[in-house]
Amino acid sequence: MADTKPPEEQEQQEKLQASAARVTEREAGSDDAEEVEIAPPNLAWMKNTLQWGTRAKPTKNGLTIDALNVGVYGDVPDFWDDQTRKPRGAFPVPGVAPLGFEVREKRELWADNAADLYEEAIQRRWAPATDVPWNTIQPLPDDVEAAICQLCTELSQNASIEIEVIGGWQQKLSYGFHEVKLFLATQMFDNARHFEAFRKRALSNGGGLGLESKGEVNRMLLESTGGWPETVVMLHMLRGAFTFTLYRYGELFAHNPAEKVLFARAMQDKARHLAYGLAHLRYATSHNPDKAVVFSRLMNIAERVFERELNDPVLKEALAIIFGGGIEGARSGMRQYERMMGDFARQYLANMEHIGVPREAGFPPTLAQFMEA
Amino acid sequence: MPQFPSVDWFEQVREIFNGDESYQEAGGGMCDATMGIKVADSSYILVFEGEECSEVREVPELDLAEADFYLDMASDEWQEMIQNIKDNDGADLDHTLNTLDMDRFEGLALTMNGDQYRQDFFYRYNQTFQYFFDASARIDTDFTPGD
Repeated sequence: MADTKPPEEQEQQEKLQASAARVTEREAGSDDAEEVEIAPPNLAWMKNTLQWGTRAKPTKNGLTIDALNVGVYGDVPDFWDDQTRKPRGAFPVPGVAPLGFEVREKRELWADNAADLYEEAIQRRWAPATDVPWNTIQPLPDDVEAAICQLCTELSQNASIEIEVIGGWQQKLSYGFHEVKLFLATQMFDNARHFEAFRKRALSNGGGLGLESKGEVNRMLLESTGGWPETVVMLHMLRGAFTFTLYRYGELFAHNPAEKVLFARAMQDKARHLAYGLAHLRYATSHNPDKAVVFSRLMNIAERVFERELNDPVLKEALAIIFGGGIEGARSGMRQYERMMGDFARQYLANMEHIGVPREAGFPPTLAQFMEA
Repeated sequence: MPQFPSVDWFEQVREIFNGDESYQEAGGGMCDATMGIKVADSSYILVFEGEECSEVREVPELDLAEADFYLDMASDEWQEMIQNIKDNDGADLDHTLNTLDMDRFEGLALTMNGDQYRQDFFYRYNQTFQYFFDASARIDTDFTPGD
């Protein structure tokens, strides 16, 4: 291809090349750095911007990521054409080899609240090491301690699975929608915090870790590769709503201020994760009506995997002991467990209704019956 | 001594809440939500913007529909919660907002607008609302029913 550079630019290029050659020649023949000739700077790159003179303004929440969406920087396309890691609004360099994104359609990951949720996660952070009053934990009866440790073991494990599920998708999500990528990074960090916090609870009061989770739902989530929205509907709507319910009941039945704080803060984080799920999936179904059918069919399977995992008695018994105050009270605790599952079912169905995927008709009867508890 | 419920009571709590930076830490922080309060026949709207509670006003009950959610308890239940907060310098294990919500068949946090996403603000910003009511431990409250 012929060189189409203007004569003056070509001349400057030749001068630079000559200068570079002199430097190379001198460096090869001399160890004295003082003799090295420094090439004059080529400042041509300074003109390479899609929009100059940008002055984003702080909002009442500070200079937020959403406040940066001015001019071309706020132009969020329906399809992200770029296959490099170019930040949205950066000047493109021709010839960069593609790195490949799998998710390039806005409707496949977008949520209007993602930027706000990112800021929220950053500003509302907490530190389990110092914000949980660990010194308020007192010895509990062995059966109750064992049950708490079992619950914390499974919550900790589920949090680590969530990190891996989101992490597996991160590099597939286009940079054109960086608000979502940033928020999901905080969701991973939140989950690291939950992994840490529940592990700390299990190992801080004379107990220890219990059984690992049976893991059928975990496997389903880790192996969900069909699409990001399809992963979100299982991770946020199904597992997320269940985890959220467990956190709420953990707070309700806390034995001490430490557990109270631990479960309450985790609940806040999980509510934020659900907010992304709700906003994204509603966006997905409203911009692609076929998605509602896809989600419905997918959840016909996912709900049954979830239902099957619930048949495992370990978590159920642990919760009944916590709710009943010990093995002796486990019978009344089991009624509380059923009430909890009813709360979960109502929340899940309401969320699915919100995203335009009503599930009551196809909801497994064994889960639906909890709503009568 | 401000009477509960009244705009004066909420204003005094608001002032304490807005003036203490520690309420922005440890799970507190930016919060954009409109919370309604219903105490017997009285209704209030509290607006949270950024790191502060920016507005308190008394409203007709039907205006609670503009709130993302509203907290509804009988007068004696409100009194018990606020007294508990006063006695313990913050809610004890049985009087946190989440616990009170779960202890009620209908729940504590309700909605008139039917928007699940907005109702969930109660959970998403729960610590901020808890901090707000915990701030009431620093004032004395008159629970004598008004005219």
